[in-house]
Amino acid sequence: MNLARQITLGFFLLAVGVTVGTGWLALRDAHDGGLVTFAAITAGIMLGAAAWQLFVVQRERREHVVARRFLEQLLHQAETGSGIAPNDSYPRIHHASPWKKPLERIFEYISTSQDRKLVLESAKASAEIRLQRASSQAEWMESVLANIGVPVLALNAYDEIVLANPDAESLLKIRAEGTERRSLPRVIGNERLTNLIYDVRRRAVATVRTDDLELEDNTGHRRWYRATVGKLPATDKGPDSGGALVVLRDVSVEHSMQKQHAEFVSSASHEMKAPLAGIKAYVELLADGDAESEAEREEFLGVINGQTDRLQRLIDNLLNIARIEAGVVKVSKQSRSINDILAEAAGVVQPTAEAKHIKLVSDLSPLYLGALVDRDMMSQAVINLLSNAVKYTPDGGRVTLRSRLADQELLIEVEDTGVGLSEEDCVKIFEKFYRVDKDKNMAAGTGLGLALAKHIIEDVHGGKLTVRSKLGVGSTFCISIPHVARAS
Amino acid sequence: MKHILLCDDDVTILRAAEIKLTRAGYRVTTYPDGQAALEAIQRELPDMIISDCQMPRMGGLELVRKLREDERTRDVPFLLLTGKGFELPIEDLRRDYGVLGVIGKPFSPREVLQIVETTLAASV
Repeated sequence: MNLARQITLGFFLLAVGVTVGTGWLALRDAHDGGLVTFAAITAGIMLGAAAWQLFVVQRERREHVVARRFLEQLLHQAETGSGIAPNDSYPRIHHASPWKKPLERIFEYISTSQDRKLVLESAKASAEIRLQRASSQAEWMESVLANIGVPVLALNAYDEIVLANPDAESLLKIRAEGTERRSLPRVIGNERLTNLIYDVRRRAVATVRTDDLELEDNTGHRRWYRATVGKLPATDKGPDSGGALVVLRDVSVEHSMQKQHAEFVSSASHEMKAPLAGIKAYVELLADGDAESEAEREEFLGVINGQTDRLQRLIDNLLNIARIEAGVVKVSKQSRSINDILAEAAGVVQPTAEAKHIKLVSDLSPLYLGALVDRDMMSQAVINLLSNAVKYTPDGGRVTLRSRLADQELLIEVEDTGVGLSEEDCVKIFEKFYRVDKDKNMAAGTGLGLALAKHIIEDVHGGKLTVRSKLGVGSTFCISIPHVARAS
Repeated sequence: MKHILLCDDDVTILRAAEIKLTRAGYRVTTYPDGQAALEAIQRELPDMIISDCQMPRMGGLELVRKLREDERTRDVPFLLLTGKGFELPIEDLRRDYGVLGVIGKPFSPREVLQIVETTLAASV
């Protein structure tokens, strides 16, 4: 009970006392006007105090209602979690009200916790965004690594594998073991690779080293990989820094090309040595006076001349093949009559065939067969096929040159009754320097004639050169090139 | 008259070596491959064999291997004449098959004659 109410109540009780006292005196001495007046005044004061008291009680009741509503509202908001809206205001409460202080404190508490909640919520939202961004970035990085098409491996400073993309896992036979750290020598069976990694890791300065390794891929084929191992810089960002990054690149194609190149050089020099050996030997015989007659001198000189021609042919063929393969050959294609080219080529081979009593038959189409060809090259290819046929056909045999039109394609066939080829040889015969061993003594070739013919037909003219053959029966080489009708 | 057997699939080489050795007074027989040479050697043992490496039917290395397996032909001096000299394990051939040496192509007939003369002089 506050002081104001106590004073009001004091005044009220005093006024009641004075009013009763003066009223009794006034009734006893009915004519004392002064007393009556005094009693009336005190009665007025008493009424005033009672009215005031009534007003105060009324006000307090109203404040109770307001406070109760306010508290109910707060309770409702707390229960529903809707919180106080920013524009919600503190209820109007009289400064003397006993509700004022506690309500003020509650309101203050709620509005600061409201602020705190807002701050927390926005922090939570931004953290969620960051987390999402980071995880999507990690996912993105993982998908980049998975699709990079190259085995990639990362190791930490303790030589544990912290990252291996699927290519690396399948190549190095690393099984995904979840987050468990996998130590290097236990996982990578290849000693050369582990040594390379250790070597890089031991170095104080950042180093990148490479080594070529032969590894078995997941289809069981052995392939060459170039391992590039780089030391990762040490940072203070945890134990995964300061390791090594391993990238493996498939270099099998380079390796096989290098090998092919070396084999080619070896075969080419071997083929060149044969005529060179003849030349050197016979020059020396002549110089030593080993020729006992003029005829023998002529024979020696003839051998030297023939071997020189062979060397010349070999070099020409080599250069032609190299030019075609490098794409630097000058090709001048024009619409030509194939039959004319074939007749000419047959004319070139005719003397050799006659010398071996081989019948060279030309079975050419009566139609005009036009094709877009480089005359010299096409002629060279046909001559190579014809002279091979003559070379590998025994005396008295037959070589047939055919031409015909079949479904927009020109077919040229060179058929012989020669020694024939095995199935395996039919495939290998077009390789450079491939010679069928058993027939080698039949002819001194360069081993390049068919390779050159295939290049001319397929690479220069967009056609196809194939062979079908039967051992001991004969072979048929077939050229097909696109047909071009004669320009009207 | 000492008998030299030559074996090579290149006729011009055979002929050159044959001429050089014949002029020097040797009896020379020539064969185009290892198989033909082996059959001839089994019929008549030559005093020395000079052979190419790469030949149809049977190469020079297989020929010398076969010769060393047979007691009768085990000790015939054997010389390789080949364009693939640098690719061969010469030391192994010397140790395992008693191959005298390898003459690389292009070769000097004079050098061949010289080796033949030294070899045969030593074996007498």
